[in-house]
Amino acid sequence: MIKSKLEKILLKVQKPGKYVGGELNAVIKNKDEVDVRFAFCFPDTYEIGMSHLGMKILYSLFNSKPYIWCERVFAPWIDMEEQMVKNDIPLYALESMDPISEFDFIGFTLQYELSYTNVLNMLKLGNVPLKSSERTELKNIVVAGGPCACNPEPIADIVDIFFIGDGEEVDLEVIELFRECKKSGKSKEEFLYLASQIKGVYVPALYDVTYNEDGTIKSFTSKREGVPEKIEKRVMMDMDKSYYPDNFVVPNVEIVHDRAVEEIFRGCIRGCRFCQAGFLYRPVREKSVDCINEQCHALCRNTGYDEISLSSLSSSDYTQIVPLLEKLSEWSVDENVSLSLPSLRVDGFSEDILSKIKSVRKSGLTFAPEAGTQRLRDVINKNVKEDELLDTCLVAFDGGYSTVKLYFMIGLPTETLDDVKGIAELGQKVVNTFYKAENRPKGKGVRVTLSSSSFVPKPFTPFQWEPQDSIETIHTKQAHIRENLTTKKISYNYHDADTSFMEAVFARGDRKLNEVLIKACEKGMHFDGWSDCFSLKKWLEVFDECGIDPHFYANRRRSFDEILPWDHIDYSVTKEFLINECKKAYENETTPHCREKCSNCGAMKHKGGVCFEKRSCMV
Amino acid sequence: MKNVRVWFKKDDECRYISHLDLNRVMIRAIQKSRLPVWRTEGFNVHPYITFSLPLSLGFRGERESMDMRILDDKLKLDVIKVELNKCLPHGLEVFDVTEPKIKSGAINSAKFKMRLSTDDISVEELYSKFQEILSSDEILVDKKTKKGIKKIDIKEYFKDAKHYDTDHDIVVRVTLPAGSTTNINPTLLVNALQEKYAIEVYYDITRVDVFDTEGRPFE
Ligand code: SF4
Repeated sequence: MIKSKLEKILLKVQKPGKYVGGELNAVIKNKDEVDVRFAFCFPDTYEIGMSHLGMKILYSLFNSKPYIWCERVFAPWIDMEEQMVKNDIPLYALESMDPISEFDFIGFTLQYELSYTNVLNMLKLGNVPLKSSERTELKNIVVAGGPCACNPEPIADIVDIFFIGDGEEVDLEVIELFRECKKSGKSKEEFLYLASQIKGVYVPALYDVTYNEDGTIKSFTSKREGVPEKIEKRVMMDMDKSYYPDNFVVPNVEIVHDRAVEEIFRGCIRGCRFCQAGFLYRPVREKSVDCINEQCHALCRNTGYDEISLSSLSSSDYTQIVPLLEKLSEWSVDENVSLSLPSLRVDGFSEDILSKIKSVRKSGLTFAPEAGTQRLRDVINKNVKEDELLDTCLVAFDGGYSTVKLYFMIGLPTETLDDVKGIAELGQKVVNTFYKAENRPKGKGVRVTLSSSSFVPKPFTPFQWEPQDSIETIHTKQAHIRENLTTKKISYNYHDADTSFMEAVFARGDRKLNEVLIKACEKGMHFDGWSDCFSLKKWLEVFDECGIDPHFYANRRRSFDEILPWDHIDYSVTKEFLINECKKAYENETTPHCREKCSNCGAMKHKGGVCFEKRSCMV
Repeated sequence: MKNVRVWFKKDDECRYISHLDLNRVMIRAIQKSRLPVWRTEGFNVHPYITFSLPLSLGFRGERESMDMRILDDKLKLDVIKVELNKCLPHGLEVFDVTEPKIKSGAINSAKFKMRLSTDDISVEELYSKFQEILSSDEILVDKKTKKGIKKIDIKEYFKDAKHYDTDHDIVVRVTLPAGSTTNINPTLLVNALQEKYAIEVYYDITRVDVFDTEGRPFE
């Protein structure tokens, strides 16, 4: 039915290939032979969603079970959405072309706050009631996971079940429970209660929130006996044994990251104080060289990809990086497969590594010092030293590089205009370094790009209590950088402060924001992560109509003893540790990374990973 | 090393992918098949393939072809077909592999089958409008060229078109110039219909075959 309607509209939209499925390795099952149908929704375009590793892992994992059929759903781009609405085509899954309202589970991965409007809009396009309470039967169970699930409250009225932490086991346990409940004719309510008993599952409908007069939270309590007060995250401790696909769906149309991806470890040892991922995924757990090698080889053989990206939060921190690259080159060279290592750190940038990576092109170098002065880098615990950075640039310039990109954040806690000026000055120092390099490329000028985003305070970081700079202050700081640039060799660009503001609102929002999202959805808002669609004006109107002040969430300093909307979620990192880190930040004091010294963050309770590695005493 | 011509159908889901996408899909299929295909040299080594005649996004193709070089002269052509088919997505199917007989530069025309329908008027009405437009003195349409949009008359290209109507659509068979010199896209007629009668026309177009300057089927 949907198929014949689609034929009429597909030639009217851009890149119709992304709306028809049929890719190599897409899983087709007989719907009558499975017990559970799962619509895995990525609340963004096909090109972005298909590039996402978490979705690939769970898609293959679910489909490895004969009783589950997991299908993919992406947000149709604006032109397609318009055609679908006009022609009465509900949002459908790519494998069966069935509408998502026919599925047992509708799962979302929450990668960024600004995709929340797409979550609601996708339900709307699928004719699925938005609120959990409006979906009364045991079907269309809306589940969500991913980093934003660490503060589930802004969409707690929409989602039935949140998965906290690594999804590989908990998702399957919940699906299995659903299968039993469906067989025995249990109600949705009973199912949700039973699900709440599984570690790593948060069922928001089972809790009550009350507020103080000033809008802060007064109490957060469970409604029913036996419902856990704290929801602890799930962690896959043995990464070698953890499920990893030997096959990806290979898209027919070009996507953002069109290559094989291998996760080499989870977590990050560094503890940069602004970085949420660095705290959510503790402790660091590595895969072994042999395991990575086998998985990479299988992936390339099964997909036909000739490029493999070794993925992690900070690739050069992988303890066996050189042996790994050596092992991989045993076959990758012969099979014409190139390797790439994203997120290399400045201090991990060695010639030894570089010589093994084919795909590091001589076109550009990127660094993320994040702040312009050493003082501020100490505040955020970003262990990048200026002289190291300049040394690396010198080596690179001598080796033929001539362009450098530097990434910064502005609006960081304790930041002054001098720190901001430091960004422009660092750019100048890189330019000067170029002219010191004796073997620099001749006849070519140096090009330095400074890029700044605005700091967004996130839950589960030491800065979770911090106010975000107002949009005006951010604009002043942006202007300050520009005014301090004296050469055309440096170009400066920045992310829009308006979107960072909205991101900050939803990152630390509470349940009151559900109303805002529902209203935004009614007004047809979607794709807020895209400048084509985002409009601060529209958002302010929505907040105004709901009588909610967005600045309360973005720009307010919280006290350490305030009940935070996400306090009932437990990512193993203790609040005492975070408070301590915050206080150290104010003193410009750094914290060593996990391999130098354990700082007792709380993640050790998982009994493995980096916490139990032997530390070679660093002097 | 020998040149081979891979013959395939492009249909179903793969109807909707562009020529660039097709190129990428084929390269990955070759990589996955591990067939000994000659690669370009340089930084980014990948199997070297060339397509005889690009097919517009949305069209089905019944006799499409792509050339590549096989490093192993003894490799059976049938093996290439079998191995590639294991690695292609639904909608792309290799049905033959041959040694090229005609240079792709000699391609001169292509035969299309078009199915036209609309929701705005009945099929009979659409068919009479279609006949009306074909019998008018000239059919002026906008054609995109490298130098911008040009008005051209496509009447003579369609004068030998065969057509009939069915319960739900019109079927048209037409042979049009194609290749390196002139290309006439059958959608030009669709555009003319839409514009002249202000109706929305859906098309389902298949490129059935390709011919050389002498009118011989491309081999
Ligand atoms: S417990 Fe120590 S070693 Fe383990 S993650 Fe926390 S700081 Fe790092």
